[in-house]
Amino acid sequence: MAFDFNSLFAFIIFGVTIGVVYGIVALGISLIYSGLDIVHFAHGEMYMFGAFFGLVLVHNIGLPYPLALIGAMVLTALLGMAIERTFYRRLTRAGGGYTVAGMGMIICGFGMSVALVNVAYFIWGAEAEPFRANLNFIPRLTFAGDIEVPESYVLTAIISVILMAALHYFLRHTKMGLAVRAVAHNKDIAYLMGINVPLMISLIFGLACGLGAAAGVLIGPMQSVQVEMGYLMLMKAFAAAVVGGFGSLPGAIIGGIMVGIFENLGAAYISASHKDIYAFLLLILVLMFKPSGLLGIEAKVKA
Amino acid sequence: MSFLSKITDFFEYLAKRHRLLPWVFAYVALIPLPFILSALFNEYLIDLVNRICLFILLAVGLNIVKGFCGQVTVGHIGLYAIGAVTSAVLSLEPGGFGGALGFGWPIWLSIPSAVLVTACAGLIIGLPSVRLEGAYLALATLGLGESVRIFIAVTPALGSSTGLMMIPAPSIGSYTFDSFTSYYYLVMTAALVGIYFSFSILQSATGRAFQAIREDTIAASVNGINIIKYKLLAFVLSAIYAGLAGALFAHMPPGYLHHNNFTVIEMVTLLLMVVLGGIGNVWGGVIGAIVVAIAYDQTKDLVFYFMDRPIVIQPLVFGLSMVLLVMYMPRGIGGWIEDFQRNRRFIRKSEERASGSTRNT
Repeated sequence: MAFDFNSLFAFIIFGVTIGVVYGIVALGISLIYSGLDIVHFAHGEMYMFGAFFGLVLVHNIGLPYPLALIGAMVLTALLGMAIERTFYRRLTRAGGGYTVAGMGMIICGFGMSVALVNVAYFIWGAEAEPFRANLNFIPRLTFAGDIEVPESYVLTAIISVILMAALHYFLRHTKMGLAVRAVAHNKDIAYLMGINVPLMISLIFGLACGLGAAAGVLIGPMQSVQVEMGYLMLMKAFAAAVVGGFGSLPGAIIGGIMVGIFENLGAAYISASHKDIYAFLLLILVLMFKPSGLLGIEAKVKA
Repeated sequence: MSFLSKITDFFEYLAKRHRLLPWVFAYVALIPLPFILSALFNEYLIDLVNRICLFILLAVGLNIVKGFCGQVTVGHIGLYAIGAVTSAVLSLEPGGFGGALGFGWPIWLSIPSAVLVTACAGLIIGLPSVRLEGAYLALATLGLGESVRIFIAVTPALGSSTGLMMIPAPSIGSYTFDSFTSYYYLVMTAALVGIYFSFSILQSATGRAFQAIREDTIAASVNGINIIKYKLLAFVLSAIYAGLAGALFAHMPPGYLHHNNFTVIEMVTLLLMVVLGGIGNVWGGVIGAIVVAIAYDQTKDLVFYFMDRPIVIQPLVFGLSMVLLVMYMPRGIGGWIEDFQRNRRFIRKSEERASGSTRNT
């Protein structure tokens, strides 16, 4: 393939947009990690459920796309909170307070992920369903040369920025956000300060699952919606979270964008069929040379 | 209970005579198994037993890194795949079906080479463990394991969509291991030797170093244990088990290998074995492997009709049982075994004390 500056530019733009979606999922994983000290293995399934909720809301109920996005976020957040209350809360409590419950939590999350995929499979079947959303209200951007950016990509970029701004505002400028940060920092002292810690943990979990659902609804119109979509997303989002620095919220977005660009350039210039491996390649490179990630704090050492 | 006690007593009696005697006895006792199975049931069960033996190897190997050393890895199935594909590709005749690679090496050379390659891969999968802990490590290894499968699935030279066919069966002289019954002796020997070595590792200084790292990494390093060396060693040892199991799987009678054998559900099955067996308990892992492999085989074709749509419920059952096991039975079968052993020790101690006191009076 002859080198073409225009197409390189196009690949980077598409990479950034896809990468932002990875970043949003990674944001959820990072949020749960910093808040609950666990890594949620079933987060990819939250993203998949969000996409399906959005699909049902748009196709079967006929809501406009932005409303469906919000509806899917709320539904998935409720689902996530329910799962956390019934299953994870037991384990995190057994581990002494809300600390790392170790291997049990990881295996539980892994099993939950498989179970959730199959619950979705019960409901929606295995076929990939196209997400037909009316996006005509978004302008189609045209860049220098002949690069056209489809509506769904523009929408993704806009909504991601809105979501990030909203999350930042919530965490930094509201009283509840302060409580969430306090819980993330130290649960015992948060208790003493009169913060309702179990409620805040539910809130963190719900927020993270809502973010995952938003990513699912955003990516729906670009690709089709399928039961097994969550698994690869989880790993790419994890790669994004590690590349950016685990537990760091801006790092999650930057890592997501890097993974997106890396993946798209690799697919364009090296080999398209190996597309899904590049994220892990980047992950390994980062783990070898800068394991704390780009913006990360050094990994906690338990004494 | 008393029956179990008698068996345990017998094996302890054998072990007092010679360290290896119980193993020899178990080996001899397992020799007639395929004949009993084929006489009472059918040939298919022997194939199932062969696969159980491979799963035992895998579960015991996973137990080394996970149970002894406390490193959470979920990429083990990737190592299994590396072992299987390496041995298959090395032993296939060149110019095989569908552009598959082939080197035409003899099998007794290709299996050790596969184990060696897998050990190196285990070193690579273990590298993140030097820097990462717990959940990070789990996700990193999950990514590595899955990328192995994706790589096999998209590379035609490794039998992408068609899989590798006509993988030759091993032979000694003129005796070929090409039937279920003959292959049984190969995998059963491997499984027993694997279990034996796993105990040897557990009881050696290396095993104690692993356990120290599991209990408290910092305390272990203070006591002069080279953390990096032993963590990597645990990964390499378990990779050797996985590589051997994979290589034996590749040459198993149908001689066919497809990347669908290494998917997430296989990984879940493997994890379920170790969790059900109780993390860190060798015999628990073996029993877990047997139970789960039989359950896996029985539920494989179980189809449930929901809204006129056939649904395979196996993954759902496996996933949910994993969640429930972790929640309600965190010590698994290994917990029962440890309780049993403790009870026996207690009973024996109190008996000794009772007899000792009668002698005194």
